[in-house]
Amino acid sequence: MRIMRITAVIVFLLSTQVYAKSFGQVEKINLKMNSNIKEVFEQLEKVSGYRFVLKYDQRILDKQVDVNYTNEKIDRVLDDLLKDTGFTYKVIDRYIAIVPVGELNDFTQQQKSVSGKVTDSSGGPLPGVSIIVKGTVTGTISDTDGKYSLSNVPENATLQFSFIGMRSQEVAVNGKNQINVVLSEESIGIQEVIAVGYGTQTKRDVTGAISHVKTTELEDLPVAQVAQKLQGQIAGVQINQTTGIPGQGMTIRVRGAASVNAGNSPLIVVDGFPISGSINDINPDEIESISVLKDASSASLYGSRAANGVVLVTTKSGEKGKTKVQFSSYKGIQVVPQAGRPDMMNAQEFAQFQKEYREDMAAFKGTPVDIPAEYQNPSEWVGKGTDWYDILLQNAKIESYSLSVSANTDKLKTSAILGYFNQEGVIINSKFDRMSIRLNTEYQINDKIKIGVNLAPSLSNTVTNGTDGALWGGGIIQNAMLTSPLAPYKNADGTLPVIANTSGLFPNPNWYRVAQERTNNEKSLHVLSNAYIDVEFIKNLHFKSSINAELGNKKTNYFIPSTSGYIFDPPPRRTEASVTTDSYFSWLSENTLTYANTFAEKHNFDFLAGYTAQKQTNPYEYMYGTGFPDDMVKTLNAATVYQLDENYNELTLLSYVGRINYNYNKKYYLSASIRRDGSSRFGVNNRWGNFPSVSAGWIVSDEPFFPKTTWLNYFKLRGSYGITGNYNIGNYMYYAAVTNTNYVFDNNLSSGRSTTSLGNSELGWETTKGIDFGFDFGLLKDRISITYDYYGKTTTGMLYSVLVPQSSGFNNIWTNIGEFKFWGHEIGIISKNLTGKLKWTTNFNISIPKNKVIHLGTQDAPIGGQYDNPNITQVGSAIGMLHGFVFDGIYKNQAEFDAAPHHATSAVGTVRYKDVSGPDGKPDGVIDNFDTTIIGDPNPDFLFGITNTLSYGDFDFSMIISGSYGNDIMTRTFEYAQNLDAVFNVTKDVANRWRSPENPGDGLHPTTNTGTPLARYDNSRWVSDASYLTIKNITLGYTLPFRNTSYFERIRIYGSIQQALVLTKYEGANPEVSINGSSVLESGLDFTAYPVPRTFTFGLNINF
Amino acid sequence: MKIKNYIVVTVAFMATACSSDFLQVTPETFISSATFYQTENDFEQAVSGAYATLRDVYGDAYVMGEMRSDNTHYNYKENDRGGQNIEKEDVAGFTDNSSSMYSNQKYYACYRGISRCNAILDRIDQSEINAASKQTLGGETKFLRAFFYFELVQYFGDVPLYLTEVTTQAGTALPRTPKADVYVQIIKDATDASTQLPATQTEKGRVTQGSAKTLLGYVYMTLKDYAKAETALKSVTTLGYDLMPNYADLFKTANKNSIESIFEVQYLQGTQNLQNNFTYQFIPALENTVVITGVAGNNQSFGGWNIPSDDLLAAYETGDKRKDGSIAMGYTDADGNFVSSPFTNKYLNPHSTFNNCNDDWIVYRYADVLLLLAECLNEENKPAEALPYVNKVRTRAGLANTTATTQAALRDVIAKERRVELAFENHRWLDLVRTGKAIEVMNAYGVKMKQKYSYLLPRTYNVDANKLIFPIPFDERLLNPELSQNTGY
Repeated sequence: MRIMRITAVIVFLLSTQVYAKSFGQVEKINLKMNSNIKEVFEQLEKVSGYRFVLKYDQRILDKQVDVNYTNEKIDRVLDDLLKDTGFTYKVIDRYIAIVPVGELNDFTQQQKSVSGKVTDSSGGPLPGVSIIVKGTVTGTISDTDGKYSLSNVPENATLQFSFIGMRSQEVAVNGKNQINVVLSEESIGIQEVIAVGYGTQTKRDVTGAISHVKTTELEDLPVAQVAQKLQGQIAGVQINQTTGIPGQGMTIRVRGAASVNAGNSPLIVVDGFPISGSINDINPDEIESISVLKDASSASLYGSRAANGVVLVTTKSGEKGKTKVQFSSYKGIQVVPQAGRPDMMNAQEFAQFQKEYREDMAAFKGTPVDIPAEYQNPSEWVGKGTDWYDILLQNAKIESYSLSVSANTDKLKTSAILGYFNQEGVIINSKFDRMSIRLNTEYQINDKIKIGVNLAPSLSNTVTNGTDGALWGGGIIQNAMLTSPLAPYKNADGTLPVIANTSGLFPNPNWYRVAQERTNNEKSLHVLSNAYIDVEFIKNLHFKSSINAELGNKKTNYFIPSTSGYIFDPPPRRTEASVTTDSYFSWLSENTLTYANTFAEKHNFDFLAGYTAQKQTNPYEYMYGTGFPDDMVKTLNAATVYQLDENYNELTLLSYVGRINYNYNKKYYLSASIRRDGSSRFGVNNRWGNFPSVSAGWIVSDEPFFPKTTWLNYFKLRGSYGITGNYNIGNYMYYAAVTNTNYVFDNNLSSGRSTTSLGNSELGWETTKGIDFGFDFGLLKDRISITYDYYGKTTTGMLYSVLVPQSSGFNNIWTNIGEFKFWGHEIGIISKNLTGKLKWTTNFNISIPKNKVIHLGTQDAPIGGQYDNPNITQVGSAIGMLHGFVFDGIYKNQAEFDAAPHHATSAVGTVRYKDVSGPDGKPDGVIDNFDTTIIGDPNPDFLFGITNTLSYGDFDFSMIISGSYGNDIMTRTFEYAQNLDAVFNVTKDVANRWRSPENPGDGLHPTTNTGTPLARYDNSRWVSDASYLTIKNITLGYTLPFRNTSYFERIRIYGSIQQALVLTKYEGANPEVSINGSSVLESGLDFTAYPVPRTFTFGLNINF
Repeated sequence: MKIKNYIVVTVAFMATACSSDFLQVTPETFISSATFYQTENDFEQAVSGAYATLRDVYGDAYVMGEMRSDNTHYNYKENDRGGQNIEKEDVAGFTDNSSSMYSNQKYYACYRGISRCNAILDRIDQSEINAASKQTLGGETKFLRAFFYFELVQYFGDVPLYLTEVTTQAGTALPRTPKADVYVQIIKDATDASTQLPATQTEKGRVTQGSAKTLLGYVYMTLKDYAKAETALKSVTTLGYDLMPNYADLFKTANKNSIESIFEVQYLQGTQNLQNNFTYQFIPALENTVVITGVAGNNQSFGGWNIPSDDLLAAYETGDKRKDGSIAMGYTDADGNFVSSPFTNKYLNPHSTFNNCNDDWIVYRYADVLLLLAECLNEENKPAEALPYVNKVRTRAGLANTTATTQAALRDVIAKERRVELAFENHRWLDLVRTGKAIEVMNAYGVKMKQKYSYLLPRTYNVDANKLIFPIPFDERLLNPELSQNTGY
């Protein structure tokens, strides 16, 4: 209780409406005492959370009272207490002011009245905003329409507008009678509440490195996947779209990803439940906000799986106080940009190439070579032929609808979100659609008990074609690109040929037909549900128990008609079909006790203890059939020959968690946590792991010695240390498995069984020790906020399937090996550049991730880097470096040939590689295995994102940029697309190859005559800088003027361009490409992927 | 808070607790080695599993066994220069290196087999299975281990010697053991096998005493211990083997495991993944194989290997029945025209599915033993004793008895007989090495080949002593620095 001079601090709110509202949130009072009023007030402070404030007159405090209230409202209590005392009370914020009756009138003798309206940045009215005449106790609050009116305001006064969650504003009256104010959300404010492990904290209280994104601010992005929305938003989090296949291909890597092998995707936790499925199963519109726990201390409460960071997803729940209905929708069209399309020869160029190939071969061999008729006269092909890449493309539509209803009454908080998303692919016969529902409900049974149920089913459908990847993997795009442009995909009569081939090439199917007719449909059902009960035994001591269940069922139907085929394997071929069912069932039981309290006014602490048990099962079935009579029936019942497979996996995890947060006066912070995890994935001897962490924070700017300048208003230092773990390997890896190895005796199968893997009962947790040091600045009254973090991580005992000498009889063993260091800097800046009528906010982040391999395995043997292996991870350099020969031009003539080292197949006109080393570690004049080396680095030097949002009146505009600098890509597609055996279509520049010493070409492409395999090995000519700056999204929105009608609260329309512009020197389709997805060991490889389209959309948001 | 509340909290907290049994999860779709190798049935399956690696050892064995020699070459495809193809060419032309997948596969497959044998031999003696099974299954396993090591020493020289199952990471890397010591172990295992194994097995395809004696004979011949070789090989002649009357019938799938067969790798066509596709590799690369195999399919990306060389064709004497029994001189195309393109028909039998054949691969057979015994006796300077064995084989081939009588003349006759009798059966290269002829024969052959084929670079067919064995796999040395490389690689 404070007794102070009231004028400077307290505002008397004159509106009775405010009075009622202010007490609306107060719990019922139970109070029984016989004492003086002072003690009664103190007791009331404890139970109600209100503070009493008295105006200099303390007479009242000594009055003895005898009170006995059960479940009584506080206003009734106060009315009773103050009856006949000559005092009355007023409420403002969390304060109850006790003032003598009649003094209120002292404040009502001014001269001017001012009125106006308060709105939020979107133009919606803001009720409940307090408006105070600066330096006085005069004030009011805005009504339901956001309108207010104040009388008796001095001419030279200044009005202060404030509202929780919004940035306060001061406006000078300057004689005006009408003052309208737009308050903007205080999203960067240190009071913002963000999700942390097992709870929430205000930003101010956070001592770890946590990035927070309100996805509601990104709702205009026309994308299927949440991760696409986060691109460029978070310092230290690299999000790449490795392929444009609808609904797929996003990789998330937090701080360079700690684990090399055992999965490097972060743990996704949805409303407290670590999910097994993909984050992409979730409709992005269901998400309220996302927190990324980057450092060990903030993540270690999820110890077991936190080494790769944790992404906490908070879904939308009912907003306080009102029922909201929201509808949003967009429709658009996706187009493949011209830039980045493969530059293959057209029909004329290809005929010329084929002709020259034969002429050169005839000269080389000294024997005549026939030139097939179709190649004899290339000029006849001008303007004719097939662009195989182009015919696979289409302009595709995209649409999304989302309806959400939320309500929050005294007892019931509920929200329902219904979504439908449909995206056609820009490659024919591919698409993705998803229907999703989320129902979040929380019910307050009584003062003590709260229960909640969340249910979120989603149903999605993916149609793909096997578009991506290497020749032999069957990726349609690359196969089509390599097919003769002379072969038609469609006959003159409109029918589709079955085979696409011209003389001397391997026969291929008509890829257009393959793409159209191949079936690869995946139907997926994903259900996420949880139920919880929260009991408050005594004030601030909560017991929460929750049961979470997740179900995922994915069924894939595959059908290849006889008219389809593979590379070199044209139709007619056998018809094949398969059905794959891949499911998982997971449950998690979580029980926590939390307690929070404040002692001696300044010692705040909270405490958490709990344990969780989780079990997951994965049944898998595969059915394959062939021997179909024809292509009429596409289901397995029409097959006559079958193959079956079944698999079943089980995983259990048991964990104990504990945490204490303490702060002194919200200035000095200390936090410690521990998690102990046991997993069925590890050998009996090393099953349990302990994951402790500590962190501390200091709000320096609250110190008395800190200079009170206007430019620097907030300064916080943070530091943390902690250990996290990783167990992302398959199940049963520590077992020495005995599997079927059948043989034949007497012309019959004889069942055989052999130990086919090396067991390891010592297999245990991979651990990452991490430190983080950071500071947060608030400049110019939080107009600019800056966050900086330095982090260092050391991963040891990496879970890796180490190659072992095969003379042991085995290929590898799952073990804990190596040591890796990761470190880096992250800076995030949010700046409110303009806050007037034209508002402009810039959100900039940059991260500089580094990593280095310190140890590997027992012999430090590199991972990868075998002969002709495009990636190598070796001690002393960064992870997954690109690896191969160093291209050194062409042996243009005999003199150059004689002067340089050779490979066994080298000849004049063939490719020349550098003699890097030899068996003794020195160049030996021979080109062989020993001359492969590091030729590129797929790890970026830095990553950045810039988001600008502007609004002016009813218009809003935003632009999101994300970029990467210094990462290399190896275009492995060139192994085929620049093949010199004249069996594929090739890139246009192959025309400039070496043909003779007199006609040596551009010095980049060797002869077609001999030694052609040498040019196919991974080499530095395929490596290029893939730095990029991508304008991910541009949106222009307009809020229609007829807001607040009886039907609508607000209607906004907008247009947006996704993937608007990619600025890069990289010539491939997508500088974010990675054929191996999220793999760090095998990153930076382009083996032809589904193009990422540019998407133009038009959208609509309606609030009812 | 009252005591009652504490109790409620504690009970609620504990009620959902799990025991640590919760963490013990047992796989359901496979078993682990800790629970296997107990019953007789387990050991029978384990032995079948050890046999199964023979299929890996023999899958591409023709590349090192025949294409390395002067017997076979390949159809050059200038438009198909993919790694798996040119690496076969490299073995043929002696330009292969330590990354060649063919020699590496041989190395890996033999050791895979050895590991499976070790797992059995580590346990079978202590097991409680019946004594007779212990004898026979143990004998089969020892034969296989000896056979795999014999392959390794012949092709790679000194090799690491693993005699117990590897169960830890530390145990995976061993240095090379001198060839002589490996031979000691091979002889020990093969001798044990020859005493433990019966003369015949009820199930066709299992190894017998004859298999073990033949192996011993080969080992001693390679070590030039002719006396012991003679003993071993002669004992084979007492075990009831005989020549099939008609040479070509030997390779018919109807005659699998015939009276002539001593050790044969078993295959089975169908969908159980036990088939082979040898013939599709050996016939010319065709857009449609129906003209040769009777089954439609395209083998252009994997056909055209192990093609008889001109040298081999010339080696057949006029009237030698074995020529037609081994080689087709061409095929009739879809238009009815004969296309001259020789290929081996030893592994070409009727079958119903493309790329899915039933032929076994004979490793040791009686004619082989007769010729080896003849070679042995001749080297012991007993040419007269050797003659009947040679002539027995020649008679079946429809040829007159040899006129050679001197040791030197007979040496050449036996070498030629072995060449044509066992053509395409993976003996030629090792025969050349064993008899010390490889360098001379292959360099001379190389000169002729380079004259005939302009695509052969000058570096090909430069055969010196280093090329008599193959390189230790490059990757293997990355993982095991103690492993030295053979000279020249």
